Amino acid sequence: MSLSKKIVLLGHFGVGKSSLIRRFVEDTFTDNYKVTIGVHILKKEVEVTDKTIVNLIIWDLEGNDDIANTRPSYMLGTNGIIYVYDLTRPTTYQDLKKDLDFIKTNYANIPIKVVGNKKDLVTNVFLKENEDAFQPYTDFFTSAKKNTKVDKMFSTLAKDLIL
Amino acid sequence: MNQEDKLKVLKDILLTDEREYASSIHKKIKILEETVNKKNNLSEKVDPIIEDRLQEFIKEIPKTLGPTITETLKSEIKNSQDAVVEAMYPILGRMIKKYIQNEIQVLSEKINQQLNNTFSFKNLKRKIKSKMSGVSEADLIINELQQTKLNQFLVIEKGSGLLISKYSKTDDIDEEMVAGMLTAIKSFVEDAFKSNNQELELINYETYSIYIQNFSSYYIAVAISGVFQAEHRSKLEDKLLDFAQNVINKTDLKNTESLTKKLKAYFSNEFI
Repeated sequence: MSLSKKIVLLGHFGVGKSSLIRRFVEDTFTDNYKVTIGVHILKKEVEVTDKTIVNLIIWDLEGNDDIANTRPSYMLGTNGIIYVYDLTRPTTYQDLKKDLDFIKTNYANIPIKVVGNKKDLVTNVFLKENEDAFQPYTDFFTSAKKNTKVDKMFSTLAKDLIL
Repeated sequence: MNQEDKLKVLKDILLTDEREYASSIHKKIKILEETVNKKNNLSEKVDPIIEDRLQEFIKEIPKTLGPTITETLKSEIKNSQDAVVEAMYPILGRMIKKYIQNEIQVLSEKINQQLNNTFSFKNLKRKIKSKMSGVSEADLIINELQQTKLNQFLVIEKGSGLLISKYSKTDDIDEEMVAGMLTAIKSFVEDAFKSNNQELELINYETYSIYIQNFSSYYIAVAISGVFQAEHRSKLEDKLLDFAQNVINKTDLKNTESLTKKLKAYFSNEFI
């Protein structure tokens, strides 16, 4: 059985949304930052069980410093959300709770994965020291550059989508 | 045995090894001389070595000389644009001329074919149309030849942009990504114009058009090649409305296979 599901990636500018998608879909990474304008769409099939394949249609939305300004029409019919923040820039996670509340209020019952990206640039000590800011909300600490937990994050969401 | 003979015997005893060594050296020099002086022998020995070095050199050229050659070519082209244009112009001119000649010939053959069917009903109809509309018969024929071709049909869920069904005669696009991007473009345009109950209906891309027929929960996007005028648009709209109202039902929208079959059957004629 094959199912198509739409997922969107949200978060501030430059947190690595496009890099995570590129790593997941094409298994590549580049240090050259190119800002996403509007939306970019890619897809990848994920085998979640022996008999079920989820065809993820991934909408890479342009970064937005205020999540409330995300174009609502891009969010229509979304089956899953990935919220990405940058572990090295506090401005991208200082309103984490507020942003997640906004998502849960406006897109109720949609599975969300919260991701702290650029793990390769911080130490475990740093994560421990900032546990209060990250741990209650974060599902995965990823690194698109080092390919840390990227596949795991997408495939876990894909599994949640068929539950 | 005199002194001389004794000396000779002594020499023989003492210098046997040296003589043998000298003789073997002599033989080796002889072989070397033969190898060096005879072309065939020399090339047999040297050719494989040169060949290996040459192959290595060829392999290394793109790495070592490639960037320099590219840079040189770039700067040469930049600095001598007039010379490049002068050199290219006759070649491009000939190519374009040949292409146009070929296209005109094809068109002329088609027009002749149409005119030869003088007694056909279609021809008679065209003559009457020409008389009544004032448009020349030739223009009408050319118009007929530029037929509008329906290339691809995508049935897309509104909002999510997920592909419900597709029917296409060629497999040159990734329909799922196109469906998503079309939906994103549609959403953007509709948001940007802040228009209530107005929706994007047509996208033109050089010789291609994408016609969008909106329904409540889905829309059908049709990729069209050729001339797409108001008349064609109206006909296509009628067909799509008829398809949505009389051919498919709600269950088909959840069953990709059955919807694809129905699309294929209903739009089997690729011309409007």
